Amino acid sequence: MKGFTPLVLGILATLAFSWLGLAYIPDLQIGHLDPQSDEEGTDIYPMPKSGMAERGRRIYVANGCFYCHSEQVRADYAASDIDRARDAAPSPPSKWGDRRSAPRDYIFDRPALLGKMRMGPDLANIGKAAPAEEEAAPAQPSPANPANPVPPGASPPVANASPPPANAAAQQNAKPAAQPSTPTEPAASPPATNASPTPTNATAQQNAKPPAQPSTSPAPAASPAQAATAPSPAASPSEFPAPYSAAWHHQHLYAPRSLNLDSDMPAYKFFYEKRRVGGEQSADAINLRGEGAPGEGWEIVPTYDAKCLVAYLMSLNQSHPLNEVKSAAPPAASPAAAKPVAK
Amino acid sequence: MKGSDSAPLHRQGMDYGESEDVQKVHAAIQREKQEPRVGLEPLSLWLIGIYALAVFFGGAYLGRFSGSFSGNSLDPGTVPTKSHGPGPGGGGQQPQQELTPAERGKKVFAANCAVCHQASGLGSQSQGYPPLAGSEITNGGSRRAAMVVMKGLQGPITVKGQQYGSAVMQPWESLGDQKVADVLTYERQEWGNHGGPVTKEQIAALRKELANHPASFTGPDLEAVPTDANLPGGEEGAAPPKPGEQAKPGAPPQGSAPPATPGAQPPKP
Amino acid sequence: MNPTEIPLKSPSSVTNLSIGDVEQVERALIDASTRVPVLMFYASAVVWLLLGTLLAGFTSFKLHSPDLLSNVSFLTWGRIRPAHLNVMLYGWGSMVGMGTAIWLMARLCRTTLRHPLLLVTGGAFWNLGVLLGICGILMGDSTGYHWLEFPSYAAVTLFIAYSIIGSWAVLMFRFRRGDPIYITQWYLLAAFLWFPWMYLAAQTMLFIVPVQGVLQAAVNWWYANNLLFLWFGSLGLGTAYYMIPKVIGRPVYSYHLAAIGFWTYAFFASWTGMQRLVDGPFPAWMITASIAAMILCIIPVATVGLNHHMTMRGYFPLMRYSPTLRFTVFGAMSYTAFSVLGVVISLRSFARYLQFSEVSVAYSHLGLYAFFSMIMFGAMYYIVPRLVGREWRFASLIKIHFWASVYGIGLMTLMLLAGGMVQGMNMDNPTLPFTESTQSVLPYLRGRSLSGILMTVAHFVFAYHFLLMLLGLGRTASVPTFLNPVNPEPGEMVAH
Repeated sequence: MKGFTPLVLGILATLAFSWLGLAYIPDLQIGHLDPQSDEEGTDIYPMPKSGMAERGRRIYVANGCFYCHSEQVRADYAASDIDRARDAAPSPPSKWGDRRSAPRDYIFDRPALLGKMRMGPDLANIGKAAPAEEEAAPAQPSPANPANPVPPGASPPVANASPPPANAAAQQNAKPAAQPSTPTEPAASPPATNASPTPTNATAQQNAKPPAQPSTSPAPAASPAQAATAPSPAASPSEFPAPYSAAWHHQHLYAPRSLNLDSDMPAYKFFYEKRRVGGEQSADAINLRGEGAPGEGWEIVPTYDAKCLVAYLMSLNQSHPLNEVKSAAPPAASPAAAKPVAK
Repeated sequence: MKGSDSAPLHRQGMDYGESEDVQKVHAAIQREKQEPRVGLEPLSLWLIGIYALAVFFGGAYLGRFSGSFSGNSLDPGTVPTKSHGPGPGGGGQQPQQELTPAERGKKVFAANCAVCHQASGLGSQSQGYPPLAGSEITNGGSRRAAMVVMKGLQGPITVKGQQYGSAVMQPWESLGDQKVADVLTYERQEWGNHGGPVTKEQIAALRKELANHPASFTGPDLEAVPTDANLPGGEEGAAPPKPGEQAKPGAPPQGSAPPATPGAQPPKP
Repeated sequence: MNPTEIPLKSPSSVTNLSIGDVEQVERALIDASTRVPVLMFYASAVVWLLLGTLLAGFTSFKLHSPDLLSNVSFLTWGRIRPAHLNVMLYGWGSMVGMGTAIWLMARLCRTTLRHPLLLVTGGAFWNLGVLLGICGILMGDSTGYHWLEFPSYAAVTLFIAYSIIGSWAVLMFRFRRGDPIYITQWYLLAAFLWFPWMYLAAQTMLFIVPVQGVLQAAVNWWYANNLLFLWFGSLGLGTAYYMIPKVIGRPVYSYHLAAIGFWTYAFFASWTGMQRLVDGPFPAWMITASIAAMILCIIPVATVGLNHHMTMRGYFPLMRYSPTLRFTVFGAMSYTAFSVLGVVISLRSFARYLQFSEVSVAYSHLGLYAFFSMIMFGAMYYIVPRLVGREWRFASLIKIHFWASVYGIGLMTLMLLAGGMVQGMNMDNPTLPFTESTQSVLPYLRGRSLSGILMTVAHFVFAYHFLLMLLGLGRTASVPTFLNPVNPEPGEMVAH
């Protein structure tokens, strides 16, 4: 080949071509999306996350959580993400997602943590898997701590991971204003999603959005029956926090194998402090039994970073329907013939 | 310069350092071959064959699975047009104006319901999907049909004399009031059904009413509701319950009916 | 048999092509001028290689034994892994690649290296950037973008360093002597032109004027695949195009194949980024375009493979003797294997299972280690004697290095492919709990750690050997260090 200049021009042109195709043109197509809203201009989705959740995202990134966890749900024709139920969730278990992820889900995410590997489950909807009373709610004390029940009228004693109330309206995870509603099964909450027609599961799932609830400020009507509110499905309630609740996340971060023997997740003990119990045990102390439990008179509490991280996890919820994406159809033998035969 | 002619066989390695004594040339260079050159063999036919195959498959793949290069089509095999059948691609943005509620409802039905209940409305007994055509629930008062669509249904139920119950119907309230109303309107006037239309406001009111209701309804729940109970606020709303024989297929029921006294309605089970 | 016992032959009787004296002296001058910068780059690269290998061992072991050293924040897996990756990419890979490119450029442009201090400064800044970056990642400043985890202060330092080095390279090329431009020079020039642009584009679109939402992931993987193909791939291929014909003394088979191979590579390889995001939340055409580009990349892969093969035809036995040839040919063959694997895992029907599994790790390592690093090892085995004026001291160490690396990467690839497939199949089965897929891959990960031990041995052996050379403790001889005793016959071309 002769000629320096044609060589240089050719080299630059080929990269320019791919940059145009894979970066610039997609930016024109999907680079300036707005959140979706309904006809009245309400029900905006998605919304930017709260301050604590954003900080939590930074911590998630700094500690490389995205190297094992993805945050994207693939379409039902492409993989079985939507069919997959979450491990260890109360019955009926929530799925990894009701629908596939779409570009609009990520418009306020920076970085967009789609992930590349799944040594751990997908987290796109992990916030939705939380027990209904807890969605976007702060960590509740573990029910095994009767010494410190939550006073009924008190908004959760910890200014913890709760997004500021002003956001509650806009948050798709509006706390069900029916705070005093029955603290039982998550199944008690209004359903939203996916029950397969072949009934392995019965009814409901946790709902993202109790639809007609105007979001009031979180001042629950005092109900005397309001003991420790954390619901406890599956295992014996005194032993484990409710799956995917904030308390569960804290314990999972601190000692993953105390909740799931098969877990391959590293422990993040450096997010937690071990300190002496001062007077009363803290409301957000981790209730660890058995190996690794703090001794008598000691407790393990999350640092602010841990709380932010859990706030971020609890905010991950893509279940809000999008106009451009079909909700998961029943997976049974369906004549939906238009499934493309992907090569 | 003839530095290397009298080279002994055994040349000690040199440490160049700053010395540029060009007489001493490193042995490695002496034994080195010349700098690479390029031959000019022509392309083999086999290789051209491989090229052709690669271009063919690559091009075919590109053509088949690009969803017409639109920014809206997330699914590879589809084209985002307005009227598309059921299936993964059916979620394209649908223009909502200039269509009657039944027509809109038909699209909603195709995208969400036809998978189980079939486009013919006949369902599938073997799989446990009750029919909608001629069904008592669909044809009766709008209340029961709306309850089912909003919250789903499970457990044994009898439709048109047949037992169903092996399948579970998921709740569809997440579609939004308008779509639920439209799909109910559609199915209540299709396939020979003769139920009346349903409005968005009625569904909104029902949604409020059912806000705290657990997941899905069961057969007994429905039976507790009179077969001709209508949702308040519709055209049939304020009237005393009568066998709901309103066949008004295409009329958009957007009238702002005064909130009817729900006196005739039984309390929610 | 000790190489020093090989009967020495007079150089002129071994080579059957006569080299003019002037040319010899010219090369001596060129080599002398490249000595300090190239050795500096090489030494830095080897240090980063050792650090990266240790971090790799950590990463591998902690993945299947998560409680290992888990309570220290800067040793948590999520920080060690990007630290390992970035050290290997920017510390080892980039520096050894640039070092080799400098020497090759000087030789092929047939000018002595001017302004070596410029390169040394650039190299020093580059080292600083990598150091800052690694510390940043371990301290928790990772950016969250794959292969771009260096925080901004490190990225800026790298970019400053590169602007020095890159402009040197382009100028060197501009003022070369003689036409035509040899194949290697196309690839090297291309690499030096592509890298700053892709790096700058990625930094701009991700940090300075960030794009929205999922496009960040698209730009991220556009950059990562470009780094793999257009930076490391070009450096590797260019080096192979020099080393193979040079060592065996035959011309490259076909100019036409080389030209087609180069331009189709440039054209298609940069479109492949989205293969890592198959079925993700993107317009389908982007993903399809990348998959189609991977299919079309068969064209350059087949072309280059054929070219090398036909060049080597009849000379494969020389691999017995020449370390450079062994490493380089192994690398070139791995290039084909790597590309074929890339096509397979990109297709949607396979991506369904393999997308989120260990197979993508196997793919990256095939490209970065089996292809690129092995070719670079071969290049170092060729170049370093010419810079220090000594031959490699121990053929046995070279052999240990070669076989430990080959078995290491071979075992690793096998383990990760098999493990990844099992993991992926389990992951796709919704009746199984998710942890089943993780559990099923753990035995394979333990096997991978074993392969890591092999590679650690290889690298430390190599580093020791290299240190000996730097200290002037290599062999003084006029015959290179062959890996096996040479049975010389008149006219046999076994020079190196």
